[in-house]
Amino acid sequence: MKTLTATAAPSTISSVKILPALSAITLGVAIILSLGFMQDSGNYLHNAAHDGRHSAAFPCH
Amino acid sequence: MVVTARRFLVIKMRDFRKFAIISLIAGVVAGFLLSLGQHYLIQPLIFAAEQLEMPVHEHHHDWQPEDGFQRHSLTVIFNSLMGCGFALLLTAGLYLKNHQGYLRGLMWGFAGYAVFFIAPSLGLPPELPGTASAELLNRQTWWLFTAISTACGLSAVFFGKNRTFQIGGVMLLVLPHLIGAPQPDTFSSLASEELQQQFVIFSALNNGIFWLIIGAVSGGLLRKLSANNTGFSS
Repeated sequence: MKTLTATAAPSTISSVKILPALSAITLGVAIILSLGFMQDSGNYLHNAAHDGRHSAAFPCH
Repeated sequence: MVVTARRFLVIKMRDFRKFAIISLIAGVVAGFLLSLGQHYLIQPLIFAAEQLEMPVHEHHHDWQPEDGFQRHSLTVIFNSLMGCGFALLLTAGLYLKNHQGYLRGLMWGFAGYAVFFIAPSLGLPPELPGTASAELLNRQTWWLFTAISTACGLSAVFFGKNRTFQIGGVMLLVLPHLIGAPQPDTFSSLASEELQQQFVIFSALNNGIFWLIIGAVSGGLLRKLSANNTGFSS
């Protein structure tokens, strides 16, 4: 059985870093887009987020 | 290697979980402080503008949060969640570049402020309710394009390997402003110019503090967590 040590190939490690970072970025972008940009038909989300959108300088209305 | 593939997923989950915790803390701390500033500096201006807007638009049949507790708590929740979203991006950037600590975090926080506030505000300044503006979708598109272009531009300028990358980065920083933000056909505003100006200044100040807190907390926590024996993969 191969034992994995801390000295794995550097290229493996850097690609290991891509996935968690990409997951975080995806989640972050999803949160920002849905809160800051989504326009729902009943205006529930828009009206709830209204003051925050204005003060964060997102296009609103 | 089979072992590597499994370890790959383990590291991925472990680091991602740390990002989530860091971002949650950074987002809630920054969002709460932002809400305080918003409550005392910005909300009065929005209310004043809405008072002016009321007689013009009598079409509000949709649900709206009730003024007072409901409206304030929604703002706190919105700001905290927004903070978490921004902190996730910032933490990912810090982690990818192997940066950590309060000071580095502050720098990244300022970069975030430039990307998500300064650059879009140059074309679309923060507006009070009742200000005339171009089609919403056009403004949102320009806003997003500007943020992405500025983010790519800044990383090319700071992390670019050679002069070509850096020149390209500067071009990306300038490009959205050469294209120009969508503007309304005629400018009109219900709120006075003084009120608008105050709103822009307070928003800029408030968001600056918000971003610096997100950066400092994310960077600091990243260092703290990676100092543990279960440190980040480097």
